[in-house]
Amino acid sequence: MYKPTLIINKSTSHFSTRIWLVLVALTILTFAIGEEVVQGKAVMLSVLAIAFIKGQLIANYFMGLRHVSWLWRGIIMGYFVVVGGMVAIAYLL
Amino acid sequence: MNTNAALMNEDGSLPAEDLPGDFAIWIFILAEMLVFGVMFIVYAFARAHQLEVFNASQLTLNRGLGTLNTVILITSSYFVVRSVAAIKVNDARQSARWLLGAMALGAMFVVVKLWEFNEKFSAGITLETNDFYMYYLTLTSFHLMHVLMGMIILGCVVFKLKHGDYTAAEHFGVETGASFWHMVDLLWIVLFPLVYIIH
Repeated sequence: MYKPTLIINKSTSHFSTRIWLVLVALTILTFAIGEEVVQGKAVMLSVLAIAFIKGQLIANYFMGLRHVSWLWRGIIMGYFVVVGGMVAIAYLL
Repeated sequence: MNTNAALMNEDGSLPAEDLPGDFAIWIFILAEMLVFGVMFIVYAFARAHQLEVFNASQLTLNRGLGTLNTVILITSSYFVVRSVAAIKVNDARQSARWLLGAMALGAMFVVVKLWEFNEKFSAGITLETNDFYMYYLTLTSFHLMHVLMGMIILGCVVFKLKHGDYTAAEHFGVETGASFWHMVDLLWIVLFPLVYIIH
């Protein structure tokens, strides 16, 4: 009974390791963008888009929301859309 | 063919699971995210009224330390994922080890953040210097309190793990603590680019 569970657990671990590496890479990308002197609307929107992707990865794969009702995934995605959208509007005004 | 066939819905999809951990923690998480969300939006609109002050002050922040703390928090979240995976196969010892690792990273986050605050205080910067620093110090210290609270919660989970209170069949508390810690990470994911990077 235990063997299949362990196999599933091992593959889950490998998967979460990949998600972690993607998150670290996106963080370094954000830092690199921040170090660029030239800033503009496109750069601001790119950084917000990266934050959106990171938020989705954490919510769905670290918090485990991909297994639960779509309503909860929708709430977290909606949060990022509304907060990110309002921030973008404030910067574009 | 598929070992999960008996569990499948009529359309072939797997049934949705319950939220990980206690439902109450999810209400708490949403409330916290709402409070932080309002503060993020208020910051963005306050900035629009004082562009030059915000842009000039933001450039004095230590983006390297901010990035380091982001990597630290993301890694701690990953450790928490591994802890939950360990208890699901009944390995309470390993689960506790991953959580202790996450707490150590949490402590590193606190040290880096205090170092950063010390740099600013040494330069004579306070809450009253200007609106940017007021928001920066308020938002980051409010978030720091959540890191400390998360470390206490993870500490309680480790204590219970070491006393054999959690198993593969019953690990509700581990998932509850994990969910809170991921929220702390999630909030920083927005706070970091907003306050340190975008200008």
